[in-house]
Amino acid sequence: MSWRNELLAVWAVTLRNALMGARNVFFFFELLFWPIVGVLSIGLMSRFLELTAAQASFVLVGTIALSVVNVCQLEVAYAVLLDVWSKSLKHQFLAPIGIRHLTLGSWIVGMVRSLAVFVLLAALGRWAFGFRVLQPGWLPLATFLLGCFLTAWVVGVAVCALITLFGNRAEAFAWASVNLVLVLAGIYYPISVLPDAIAVVARAVPLTYFLDAYRAHYGFESEFRAPIATGLALSALYAALAHWAFLAAIQRARRTGLLLKMSE
Amino acid sequence: MLAIDAQDVEKTFRSGWPRRRETAALRGVSLTVARGAIVGVLGPNGAGKTTLLSILATLLTPDRGRVTVLGHDVVREAGALRRRLNMVSGRPSFLWSLRVGEIIAFYGRLYGVSGNALRRRVDSLIELCELVPYRRIPYSDLSTGLKQRVALAKALVNEPELLFLDEPTLGLDPDVAARVRTHIARLRREQGITIVLTTHYMREADELCDEIAFIKAGRILARGTSGELKRQIRLGEVIALKLDPARVPWLAESPGVLRCVEVDGWVECTVDEAENRLPELLRALHAKGIVIRNVQVREPELEEVFVELAK
Ligand SMILES: Nc1ncnc2c1ncn2[C@@H]1O[C@H](COP(=O)(O)OP(=O)(O)OP(=O)(O)O)[C@@H](O)[C@H]1O
Ligand SMILES: [Mg+2]
Repeated sequence: MSWRNELLAVWAVTLRNALMGARNVFFFFELLFWPIVGVLSIGLMSRFLELTAAQASFVLVGTIALSVVNVCQLEVAYAVLLDVWSKSLKHQFLAPIGIRHLTLGSWIVGMVRSLAVFVLLAALGRWAFGFRVLQPGWLPLATFLLGCFLTAWVVGVAVCALITLFGNRAEAFAWASVNLVLVLAGIYYPISVLPDAIAVVARAVPLTYFLDAYRAHYGFESEFRAPIATGLALSALYAALAHWAFLAAIQRARRTGLLLKMSE
Repeated sequence: MLAIDAQDVEKTFRSGWPRRRETAALRGVSLTVARGAIVGVLGPNGAGKTTLLSILATLLTPDRGRVTVLGHDVVREAGALRRRLNMVSGRPSFLWSLRVGEIIAFYGRLYGVSGNALRRRVDSLIELCELVPYRRIPYSDLSTGLKQRVALAKALVNEPELLFLDEPTLGLDPDVAARVRTHIARLRREQGITIVLTTHYMREADELCDEIAFIKAGRILARGTSGELKRQIRLGEVIALKLDPARVPWLAESPGVLRCVEVDGWVECTVDEAENRLPELLRALHAKGIVIRNVQVREPELEEVFVELAK
């Protein structure tokens, strides 16, 4: 396949997701409602508990990261979910494209959307709680966002794989299982407070390292030696695994007929 | 030159958990289709038609058998093959809030069409499928017939050499169905597209298909032109007579008459060969002084072939 066709297929998916997003009011609601509720409740709670400015920043970074990852991974999952909901999955897999086009195309839309959510939440945090996202500087911020996007990609593709493996009834299970892992990533606490067994899981989540690196700029000592490199390496590993799992799930769906069943 | 060469294709679906159910959908199907032909796959519900088409279109992998489509192996060279074929299925569905033009353009891009070429392609397909007034309507607001036409337009977006149509006129009113059939016939005539279609409308198969393969319980039972199938099944031809007096019991015993039934005042005699038997019957009736008020001769309908084979 030529580069032109590669980019064109990705662009087709990007455009499709963007159009669907723009036309479905509830998607928009989903996009804004929970993130705003999250930041407000966490911010107010930190005020009630009389946390220091640094501590408040710690939890706000966590809740903003969770929102960014959630919005972005949801969009990545739309790569197959939209077609599962509309029962048009087979048309895509009849076309000469690969899953990379689907996931990358959706990821681009996911990044744009979650960036918009991030800006909104950052402004809200600043206005309501005096929290400054740019305090660490542009580069750490960009790295942190990249970490969120990569985590979202992995989560979204994993959800796609689970859905094509077990059918659309597995939707709830897919979200629950991946979100469970996310919450372990030390969103609201350093992973040193976790019991050992769970800390092992948290250490395997790339987002943990990106949060750690970013929070270091707010005065929390880093718990890892090279958090960013570790986060990137883990993300790359999981991205490859998730991609492979999705690919295998699609091949299996072609064998079992699930691909057809999900389109009727 | 063969567009499709499938040999001994088998497919068993395994579903259900924890208790496994196995459905043998195809049990050794062999089918060849010449380039530029329109072949109909007919058969009762659950016979395996959709399964067969899906395997040929790379949506499903066969358990066993060798399948070559347009010179490509459907499993090993699926990618190259997918550029060259497309499919329409009976109950189409696409993303609900995309507009007609956007849907066709989306799939066009997946097949590598872009820029001005894409715009021209979308325009011409919208025209061809008579969708001009609906171009900006969201998919979910379209009627069944319009949705079916969108599906047809989408299926032509990559200018396929081979088109699979799985019940393309399902749920369409007779007028729209007739126009879809005209489109299909024109696609083959003007662009030389090879077409494999399934349908439950025997008229449609009779009108469109060069050849018909009859499939039942995962096996191909008969194959040939509609005329050949009718002869093969030995259904004979029907001579319908309106007589006075209406009942003539000895007619059923006449030479060459396979059976006789009375329907709405007509006596319908199924005979082996109408051309030879008609003069004999008329002569015999005349000799007995029976008045012949009306005579009709007709071939058996494909529908009767279907009912016979499906038994
Ligand atoms: N995805 C699937 N999973 C499990 N079983 C399936 C699947 N698709 C088809 N089957 C089974 O395989 C058999 C053949 O089905 P198929 O859809 O090919 O029939 P068909 O000839 O197209 O019937 P119809 O005229 O009703 O469309 C049926 O018994 C059906 O229940
Ligand atoms: Mg069918």
